[in-house]
Amino acid sequence: MTITSAPVTGEATKTWSGRSMPRKEDGRLVQGQGAFVDDGGMHGQGYAWFVRSPYAHARIVSIDCGPALAMEGVYAVLTGEEAKAMCEAPFFAIAPPPGSLMQEWPLAVGKVRYQGDAVAVVLADTRETARDAAERVVVDYEPLPAVTDGVAAAEPTTPLLYDEAGTNVAWHGVYDYGDVDWALENADHVVKLDRLHFHRFTSSPLECNGAVVNFNRGTGVVDVLSNYQMPMFAAMVVGPTIGVPMNKFNFVTKDIGGAFGIKIGFYPQIAALALLSKKAGRPAKWTEFRTEHMLSAGHGNERTFLDIEVPVMSDGTILGLKARAFDDAGAYLHYEPLGAVIWSQVVPGCYKLKHVRVDYTEVVTNKCPVVPNRGYSRMQHLWLVERIVDVVAHELGLDAVEVRKRNYVQPEDYPYETPNGCIYDSGDLPRSLDLALELAHVDEWRARQRELGTGSGRRIGIGIGSTLDSGTNNFGQSRIINPELPFSGNGEAAFAKLDLFGEINVNLGTTPQGQGHETTAAQVAADILGVTPEDVTVSTGFNQANNSYVGFSGTYASQFAVSGLGAVMGAAQKLRHQIVKLAAFALQAEEEEIELEGGTARVRGDEERAIPFIGLANMVYTNNAGLPASLLSECDLNARYVYVPPFEVPDTVAKTGNLTLTYASQVHVCVIEVDEETGEVKVLEYAAVDDCGKRINPLVVEGQVHGATGLGIAASLYESLDYDESGQLQEPSFYEYHVGTAMDIPDVACGDIESPSPFTPNGAKGMGEGGGAPLHAVCAALQDALGGGGAVVSESHNHWARVYELVHREPGAPRGVEVITRSGGLANDAASL
Amino acid sequence: MLLEQVEYVRPQSLDEALEILANDDGAAPLAGGQSLTNVLKNRVASVDVLVDISALGDLAGITRTADGGLSIGACVTYDELDRSAEVRQSHWMLGEVAAHIEDQQIRNKGTIGGNCCLSDPTNNLPPILVALDAVMELRSRSGRRSVEAADFFKGYFATALEPGELLVSITVPQMPERSGAGYASLAVGADAKAMVRAAARVTLDRDHATIVDSRVVLARVAHVPTRDAEAEARLNGADATDDAVRAACAGVADGMQPITDVHGSSEYRRQMAKVMARRAVDQAIAAARGGRNGSSAGGN
Repeated sequence: MTITSAPVTGEATKTWSGRSMPRKEDGRLVQGQGAFVDDGGMHGQGYAWFVRSPYAHARIVSIDCGPALAMEGVYAVLTGEEAKAMCEAPFFAIAPPPGSLMQEWPLAVGKVRYQGDAVAVVLADTRETARDAAERVVVDYEPLPAVTDGVAAAEPTTPLLYDEAGTNVAWHGVYDYGDVDWALENADHVVKLDRLHFHRFTSSPLECNGAVVNFNRGTGVVDVLSNYQMPMFAAMVVGPTIGVPMNKFNFVTKDIGGAFGIKIGFYPQIAALALLSKKAGRPAKWTEFRTEHMLSAGHGNERTFLDIEVPVMSDGTILGLKARAFDDAGAYLHYEPLGAVIWSQVVPGCYKLKHVRVDYTEVVTNKCPVVPNRGYSRMQHLWLVERIVDVVAHELGLDAVEVRKRNYVQPEDYPYETPNGCIYDSGDLPRSLDLALELAHVDEWRARQRELGTGSGRRIGIGIGSTLDSGTNNFGQSRIINPELPFSGNGEAAFAKLDLFGEINVNLGTTPQGQGHETTAAQVAADILGVTPEDVTVSTGFNQANNSYVGFSGTYASQFAVSGLGAVMGAAQKLRHQIVKLAAFALQAEEEEIELEGGTARVRGDEERAIPFIGLANMVYTNNAGLPASLLSECDLNARYVYVPPFEVPDTVAKTGNLTLTYASQVHVCVIEVDEETGEVKVLEYAAVDDCGKRINPLVVEGQVHGATGLGIAASLYESLDYDESGQLQEPSFYEYHVGTAMDIPDVACGDIESPSPFTPNGAKGMGEGGGAPLHAVCAALQDALGGGGAVVSESHNHWARVYELVHREPGAPRGVEVITRSGGLANDAASL
Repeated sequence: MLLEQVEYVRPQSLDEALEILANDDGAAPLAGGQSLTNVLKNRVASVDVLVDISALGDLAGITRTADGGLSIGACVTYDELDRSAEVRQSHWMLGEVAAHIEDQQIRNKGTIGGNCCLSDPTNNLPPILVALDAVMELRSRSGRRSVEAADFFKGYFATALEPGELLVSITVPQMPERSGAGYASLAVGADAKAMVRAAARVTLDRDHATIVDSRVVLARVAHVPTRDAEAEARLNGADATDDAVRAACAGVADGMQPITDVHGSSEYRRQMAKVMARRAVDQAIAAARGGRNGSSAGGN
């Protein structure tokens, strides 16, 4: 795809921060010199292969490992029952009862609950032997009826996944802000939608999951080399289950080939590998197969919205919304039901909706567990809001641009408090929309659309997707799900070090997966320490032994620019302070007189009085006799800093509070052509305007925008994960699941607006996830192509056959939408369209 | 690749390859490996011996036959088809179809023989070869025979090849004057497997006004590429106009039962078969008029 970029706004800068510069890590990554998990290994390791259930729901009658163990080269087989016996507790549950009764162990115990559920794991001398042996583990299953519908799952007559829970409902809560009943009674129009459905898909990281785990029976230390993206979460969940304290874990990540949140989901595999290693007395290496990934690594949240009611005034002001939401978590609660609160970071979307009630139910079904997936949980809700805004415009004959502009949070409203107490920090949505419309040449396309008219067999559609990417979570929101949880706030740690010869090292607790942390962290540190980014070595990935971590460490939820770089800034400033102190001593000057430039500390205005960093390092590390004790105690040239964003604990009863620190916005505009004969959709033009506050490296930002755009377009048109009634995944490989590639994704015209965040150390906002804007924009474009009175786009995934159905809807067939119009605040006759 | 245990041999001559294939029913020829290794990796089928025929000179190269047709070695890659001046000159659309198979890496390795012998109904080349009246040249230790492409494909992963037999080349006859080929596919994404496709060839009269001969071949509607004799009969003698083609293709795929899957229902596919057939025929007419044997827009 060809990329065009609008001129960068903001003044030219003399600092490294704010500059577009190529990524430091790319050289090695594109030359095959990266260090990915499968490149790593441990002495004496065996290779693991999981035995996975072919059934969606079945009782495990028996497991016979004999034939597998009889094979030459097989070291061990671990079954679910054995693993459970080695555990101290099931995995920690985020949910209160009944969700907490839906227990999960490292491997399935007693029952399998989805196609791909792991019942045993084999360790052998080669990958091939392990795979062959896994096929010889004989499991006798007694199939049970499968639950595959996320709404029906909640019905009391539906079979249960967990008898001990007595329900398939993992969590239920009502989010009620403002007075939606009043709004519905007093609005000029009420627009009702029967059902909207957000589909399942995944982000298909190029690199699947993987881990090498060694349980050292002598020391009790568990080494985990993996591509897990939130290591301390895994440690917190796995540790108590397998009986390993935090100080005996050593989590390490290196280069990671994409994660998107999906790589938060495989802690059960890490636990199973640790137990397998413990049993076999050797390290266990596991590299996930693609089909295994599709079946069991985790999918994005599927959500169905029912009984949607939207109060609208005749001028197009939308007062709020009311809906029932059913989120389908799949078979186990991996990280869930956090999705049941995370959506509420963006309750009104980009709009000034005042009255919102969402009755939210999260269920378990016999499908792959859901895990965070780029845009996690907010994307689903933002899609609902965008569909609502779009349908309101279409049904009331209003202009989709004007309705958005009328309802957007306006630039003068920031900081804007949403009905549930979230604070939108900054932005300029109307200008973002204008820029996106201009970049997509919408005026020209409207003219083409009119020229085309009807009868050509082709239709043009123009759609808008306005979204938010809420970043830097307040983990206190988890208490809205379960008030007993001991979580709140957030943070990240970093170390900055001046090394023996004056070199600068930075390491931090993040797990970059393509976000360019080595580059942006180096840019930030270089500015503070008076060097170039080339002079700063940023360690690759996470290493628990570095001690540069906190409980929240990792890379997820659009926060690096704030929490990661906040930590780097703090650590670099502490190191600078030490360098200045040492230099002042060495140069017999005041600290205020010292400036750092080009790796040298000098006295301002006196060229003769300077000392290079190597000299300062020498004073501390290898030549410290005679240095004042006070100086030595203050200046060890190893500076650790923890950035903690300013948060309060939310009100768990009212379900209110500031749930995230920053709100980057994305306004996308999409122009499509629909082939009426086939339902094929071709993207003719695409524009994305991103506002993520101050950008540290605009090139990196633009790369993230391209990635999120590609994933979203592909999800809207190509990618869907569907199960048949027996719970068999219909797209278990790339043969059926068409991942969008460079051949599918159109050119993207990118535009930028910088509205600095007043709440962050650097004015930046987290970005990268996006809010699923392409899904919203493509659906809106389809709606536009279908025209007034046409079918309503009610699915987030619209493959050709579905578009064909929408275009060729039987006249008079139910549209699933109704507009009730009142005059003078009194109910009039329902004008059903 | 995580294959099951498998033996690998690399014969030095065609005769040696045929000898191995004749002596071992568990032996399977390996050419570009773009299909077979996937099958083995997914453990859908198992093979005892992989007989690597990719470097055999007898199976390589594209030559012009005495009557103006093409003889294409079974191990000619998609990329070679795409870039062959010979192919583009006389059978432009064959090169164009090859040019749109998956991605460049696959086109560098995948072969015409492998594409045909796997007989996966989603494969690109079989329908265009049927439309072009291609003939499959088979060899075994005991002799040689020719099978028309229309009779070669027998079902899902099944062909007319007998045990011990190897496809060595494909003969594509020269098209009559004023002929053109067309090819239309419906796929989920750019390099995805086709849901439905059609290939066509038409020959026009001297005035370019009437269709004198035609082939309409549907793929992924049945298990194998299928000529629609009724549509051909309606086209033959018809005006080469949009309306006539539309009318001739209206009944395409009626009575056939294409699969239903997540990408579309059987009914949708049946409807799409009509659209693809019409588009392929339209392309073929345009190509015939253009005088460049199949060189209209189109492709995958």
